[in-house]
Amino acid sequence: MLPAPFTSEFLNRLEVLRLRTRKETLGNRPGAYSSPRRGTSLEFADYRKYSPGDDLRYVDWGIFARTDRLYAKLFHEEVELFAYVFVDSSASMAFPSTREKFIPAGNLALALSYVVLANHDHVRLQALGEHNAASPFLRGRSRIADLIRFVRALDPAGATDLAASLGDHLRRIRRPGKAILISDFLVPPVSYQRGLNLLRAFNLDIAAIQVLSAPEIAPPLTGDLTVIDSESGEEIKVHWNEATRRSYRERLDRHNRELKSYCHQSGIHYSMYRTDEDLTDYVLKTLPAMRLFR
Amino acid sequence: MEFLNPAALYSLLLLPLLLIAYLIRRRPRAVVFSSLLLMREFAARVSGRRSGVPPIFFLHLIILSLLLLSLGEPSLTSQTMNVALVLDNSASMQAAEDGRTRFQAAVEEAGKFLRALPAGARVDVYLFAPRLARIGEAALAAAAALNLIYRQKPIDVGEAAVDHGAELSRLARDRGYEQLYFVTDHPATGQSRTVRVVTVGHRQNNLAVGSFQLNRAAFNSSQLDARVEVRSFSAREGTFRLNLKAAGKVVSTRAYTIAPGKSIAADFEALPSYPFYEAEIAADDGLALDNRRFAVPPPSGELKILAVSPRPEALVSLRAIPGVELQIVSPEAYGKGNFPPHALEIFHYATPAALPDSPALFILPPAENPLVRVAASSTRPIVTGWRDPHPLTRYVNFALFRPVYARPLKLGRSGVPVIETSNGALAVASEQANARYLALGFDPLPFLGRQNLPMSIFTLNSLDWLSAAASRAMTTGAALGERLRAAETLLTSAGETIDPRSNPAALYQGIYRIEGAAAQYIAVNFDNVAESDLLTPAPIQLRDDVGAAAKGSVAALLWRYVLAFALVLLLLEWFLHPLPTWRRNQEAP
Repeated sequence: MLPAPFTSEFLNRLEVLRLRTRKETLGNRPGAYSSPRRGTSLEFADYRKYSPGDDLRYVDWGIFARTDRLYAKLFHEEVELFAYVFVDSSASMAFPSTREKFIPAGNLALALSYVVLANHDHVRLQALGEHNAASPFLRGRSRIADLIRFVRALDPAGATDLAASLGDHLRRIRRPGKAILISDFLVPPVSYQRGLNLLRAFNLDIAAIQVLSAPEIAPPLTGDLTVIDSESGEEIKVHWNEATRRSYRERLDRHNRELKSYCHQSGIHYSMYRTDEDLTDYVLKTLPAMRLFR
Repeated sequence: MEFLNPAALYSLLLLPLLLIAYLIRRRPRAVVFSSLLLMREFAARVSGRRSGVPPIFFLHLIILSLLLLSLGEPSLTSQTMNVALVLDNSASMQAAEDGRTRFQAAVEEAGKFLRALPAGARVDVYLFAPRLARIGEAALAAAAALNLIYRQKPIDVGEAAVDHGAELSRLARDRGYEQLYFVTDHPATGQSRTVRVVTVGHRQNNLAVGSFQLNRAAFNSSQLDARVEVRSFSAREGTFRLNLKAAGKVVSTRAYTIAPGKSIAADFEALPSYPFYEAEIAADDGLALDNRRFAVPPPSGELKILAVSPRPEALVSLRAIPGVELQIVSPEAYGKGNFPPHALEIFHYATPAALPDSPALFILPPAENPLVRVAASSTRPIVTGWRDPHPLTRYVNFALFRPVYARPLKLGRSGVPVIETSNGALAVASEQANARYLALGFDPLPFLGRQNLPMSIFTLNSLDWLSAAASRAMTTGAALGERLRAAETLLTSAGETIDPRSNPAALYQGIYRIEGAAAQYIAVNFDNVAESDLLTPAPIQLRDDVGAAAKGSVAALLWRYVLAFALVLLLLEWFLHPLPTWRRNQEAP
């Protein structure tokens, strides 16, 4: 059974979307994404001198008329896409509860995966957490059920180490494609930069989606508190008042700005998803606006 | 400064709870957050914070102290502080609870109140029954008032059916009492600034002898029939033994079971003749007082009748009735003469100027009689109805009764129609001041015996009903002196002599003895359903008595200012210490 946001109308609207990638892919089968290889698509790539055996249909007769030399036209090859959706499944994704953060993040991953599946491209869901679980490459919209089972089986736990987790997954990646990283990015900049740099090194077209719950943006805290880190168990004593609240918000904004700036400089799509926001609106309005789809 | 409610000062012991609440509140709560990445900077700040309670704690402490102090009702000591203490001494205060009566508990409560009064206070002590009246001297010192209330005891009289709350408020207002303290077994509803009600006692099951009637087995018979009605004011089924005593000896006893809220009647027949009787139920219930009821048999032997008539020949036939001793006089002679007392007076086509003290039968009275109004005469009126059952209509069917001459009667100030026609009543019965009166709009005489059986039976019923009024029964609270004639003295059941000139009220139930030409008895019974019902006592409705406690109230009611000051501080606290941030965030749109 599909999760609640996945109404038939939402699915229909997802099916008309197609992921946009700014890099060429190396698929085997024909598809809708350009490949560095020459092929039979309608998109012109180059000329080369005619050699016996070439199909006379590709000879550019206009050039022959002007120069009396035979040249054959070359076209780009269009192949299928390989999409890698990474979902942060560390313990911080379960704050304030799984229902309020991790499940919305999983639903977002499923929605993006369904866009890929509906276009008969390949998608693989990969969890970044304690176990680094990964689904197989799936193709065809009917395989969304497998992905739902995979997401439901995930239990957010452990600490976030983007670089280590991504490195573990990237060892198994053989083809370039589209990488979508869904995380709260509540880690030091050095940590997420190392992780994103790893993805860049694998020649992937990257989109980073930051997922934050409402209590993380405006913590409902007051008075003297012992705040415990959900991942490391570290404790600090805080007196939460108006000034603290203001300062926290400033620091969060600064952190997000740094993340966004780094993504912009690195050619990475960036967007923030508030889990109390409507998923349908986010996928169908916000993500197209950042040109994640074409 | 004094405290009118010093017991409330114990609430000051709650103050340490405020400190505990602060310490608990200040103990850091442990909360799990997704990441401490953005919070580490704040940890340094908290370490530099001063430990201990914040300054706002002291403001809270002052506010709470003032609020608790105001509960104690502080008042400035006033030399002219007037206080009224009203003790409920009605019959229900005799109910026994926890080894003592409610009245004893009330006296103890009143004692606590008196001991807590400031030295300059002056106390007026009131008793509630038979009517609200002051006892002892006015403006007593607390110690003297204490001494006075310990000498009081409850009486066998119920409370008057008045609005007690309004009565107490009026008393406080009229006498200018700053505080009126009423100790009773009634609960109180509402609020009053002056009147304070302290309720003693709790709900109890109770059984009561509702009525005890003695009747002659037949007119002028020496044998008696008795009917005892027992009412249940209990929430559960009860069993009891009903003893019928004659002159202190048990003559009959029976056991009964009674359902909650119901009543049962027990009939005893052919009782031997005694001067007085007592019906007593032996039951374990709340109020022992209403477990006994007394009765004196109606007079036997000769029924002395004084007949006043311009047509004496019709009355002569009454002499045919056994036991009737008849004296007939003309209306003119009645107006002039001074006749000895008779058990019954018959006014035949005649009327006295005022209602006589003894029972009286008015037969076709003239228009200017003191009992009823007389309508126009009619012939052969059709009887449309008659009261049944009623001692007057016993054994008689009036359906075919159509007197040749009748003057229908209209009701006067009191009375109930017994036989009715479309034009008015043919018979009106009235009971006033322990005497019965019967007015007839037709003439049942002469007494023809078997020749006119229905009218003969009605005449006998009338004589029986009227003579039964002389059975000398009364309820507690009624004036005793009205029953006495000159040269008669009255002895209570305890043997105390009552001075008839002071016309005292009967405060205790029992058999009272009249010492005169011949010894006579009066049965005085406690009869008040509201007092017997210990399950649902009527609440006293208190009202906010504006204008009460005029004198000295400014000085006495200091607690108002304390409370107002506390509220001002509370307002200040609200400005200094607004809503917590997270709550404000929640309330924000």
